Amino acid sequence: MNDDQRLIADTTERMLEAHCTNQLIDQAEKGVYPTKLWELLESNGLTSLGADTSLGGGGGSFGDALVVLRQAGRFAVPLPLAETLVATQVLGECGIQVQKGAALVVGAEPGSSGDSLTWTARAAAFGRHCETVYFFDEQSPDQLHRFSQAEITRTEGEDLAGCARDDLRVKAVDAEIEVIKAGSFDLARLKLFGAATRAVMMAGALEAALEATVGYALERKQFGKPIGKFQAIQQQLAVFSTQVAASTRAAETLMVSEELLEIDVAIAKARIGEAAGIGAEIAHQVFGAIGYTKEHGLNHLTRRLWVWRDEYGHEGFWQAHLGHLLLANSNASLWHQVTELG
Amino acid sequence: MFQGMNFAPAKLPGELEALRHEVRDFLSAERDWQPNSDFNAGASPEFSQRFAAKGWIGMTWPKAYGGAEKTFLERYVVTEELLAAGAPVGCHWIADRQSGPLLLKFGTEEQKQRFLPPIIAGESFYSIGMSEPDTGSDLASIRTSAEKVDGGWRLNGSKIWTSNAHLNHYMVTLVRTAPPSDNRHAGMSQFIVPIDAEGVTVRGIENLAGEQDFNQIFFDDVFIADDQVVGEPGNGWAQVMSELAYERSGPERFLSAFRVLAEFGKSLTLDSSEEMIRLYGRLSAHLVVLRRMSISVASLLESGVMPDTEAALIKELGNSYERLVPEMVRLHLPGEVPKALADALQECILHAPSFTLRGGTREILRGMIARGLGLR
Repeated sequence: MNDDQRLIADTTERMLEAHCTNQLIDQAEKGVYPTKLWELLESNGLTSLGADTSLGGGGGSFGDALVVLRQAGRFAVPLPLAETLVATQVLGECGIQVQKGAALVVGAEPGSSGDSLTWTARAAAFGRHCETVYFFDEQSPDQLHRFSQAEITRTEGEDLAGCARDDLRVKAVDAEIEVIKAGSFDLARLKLFGAATRAVMMAGALEAALEATVGYALERKQFGKPIGKFQAIQQQLAVFSTQVAASTRAAETLMVSEELLEIDVAIAKARIGEAAGIGAEIAHQVFGAIGYTKEHGLNHLTRRLWVWRDEYGHEGFWQAHLGHLLLANSNASLWHQVTELG
Repeated sequence: MFQGMNFAPAKLPGELEALRHEVRDFLSAERDWQPNSDFNAGASPEFSQRFAAKGWIGMTWPKAYGGAEKTFLERYVVTEELLAAGAPVGCHWIADRQSGPLLLKFGTEEQKQRFLPPIIAGESFYSIGMSEPDTGSDLASIRTSAEKVDGGWRLNGSKIWTSNAHLNHYMVTLVRTAPPSDNRHAGMSQFIVPIDAEGVTVRGIENLAGEQDFNQIFFDDVFIADDQVVGEPGNGWAQVMSELAYERSGPERFLSAFRVLAEFGKSLTLDSSEEMIRLYGRLSAHLVVLRRMSISVASLLESGVMPDTEAALIKELGNSYERLVPEMVRLHLPGEVPKALADALQECILHAPSFTLRGGTREILRGMIARGLGLR
């Protein structure tokens, strides 16, 4: 990470450490949306990184946005931060002014209801909390349609972590349709950016889960000593830390790259997705029954790991995708491809 | 990540690509070997000598001893190319990786002048003398000992699992030079033992693959002159520990199964089954990330940091990966298995048990990582 990114990471960490408490996350799950935390992050420019200031963005790169999201993963932030940062990126690349407030870009199926055209987006992350929603028409993917929350009909749902995952539906007759040229952006690229956000968020959540688990192993006493003194536990935590180290390294590649490369995203989502399951399992095993309660904060991290590893393509999808990318480059041997990746 | 664990992104500088191509050209011109899967599987004194002639043994060492004062990252490029090509590196591997650096760090000026130039010339090969018949993971329990005599030491005991001792010239041997005390790490020293010295006997041990690469060595009243003690007598433990970061973080800790993956990849096309392509992607993702971690550690070594925990972590993760590759590939073979893939797989399965034993067992490494986590 460069100095700017270290500063961004530190700033984000400080804010989230102070304000994104277990209580806040619990309350968010019960429907008390943490508006103040959003406002704090927004007023500090952390929700609009990656788009040019001339477009109303906060400047910086998508890598900088990923630095914020790794911290968001560490603290299990119950806000559409990834969604808004991806939207910022899409708008920035399309040369469109970035709006204030949370935003979401999502693929939507076109359809019809009565005389009216409709678009439906399934299980949209934090759908109800995004003030502006941009639909990618899956049939004409060079276009984005901008809607405000008021124009949308919702069927509310939630994911394994208790975060909003809403079906969003717009009837053309009820909405003021604003069509935006999507430029170079398409659904595949949207998936790439989405996968990158989930990869770094998982890396952050894994780090936090490891830290919490090691801390607990040093505190919790059984048979007269901290359970972390038992080799059986130490061996488990060592395995956990190898998975975290690999995840962190894979995530940092995405943060420091000037350009988000498809192959690096595939590697990161495939590798970290695999680590997420292993890490969550060991964390729960070491924490024992207390970690299995809703009351204890561990579940904020592990439930998100189980959600994020499946979003924008699970590890199996990206493993296959990577396999295809490598095989398609048939002129170069595997070793040459590996060394060219750096 | 935890304090003391650092895998900050590092890239090999672009200018190293010229060196990489030079190594590749050398290897493709040299190639008359059956590429091995495991770095420990091939040894050729002639190859090592021609390799040395390129200036690639001891390439980071001072010019005063014949080295080239190249960086650790340049050495990294050279070694990973050797391993990826499955070259017979066994003769010079240990001398280049750890015996030479040990002498540079702890040896006397006279020792450096005497022992380093022949290593650099590819004429002098080394073995590691740590394990004993009753001493494996608990290295401090060694019983091979030496008593002081006029002008040197009289050495008695035995070392075991010594790779290529029958081909090598010297063994850097950890020896008890003072009786065990409350401080079990005190009283040990490292000797440079010529394998052809009087009183040294080498007995080959066949591994389960039917190869004779490791040995037991017996010392029967072997005289070791004072000037063949490395560093200060009694400092052996600290010296041995300092070798381990070199030993554990390099590409040989995750490339032992590379031949299997590469041959598997060659057997695939875009029309292969989705399961096979997915496995190829999965194993390649692991490889790329491990390599990036290992390059991060090489950059730390370059900057003079001794990243012991990171090195243990890479070895543990890399060895687990090396065990995973053959186990998964054998379940995803094409209908007709190309001979090169079948051969690589067979060799890898037979060598795999050693991956998680040599250079520190999986359990010992996990213990070291746990220490890095603050658990012990």
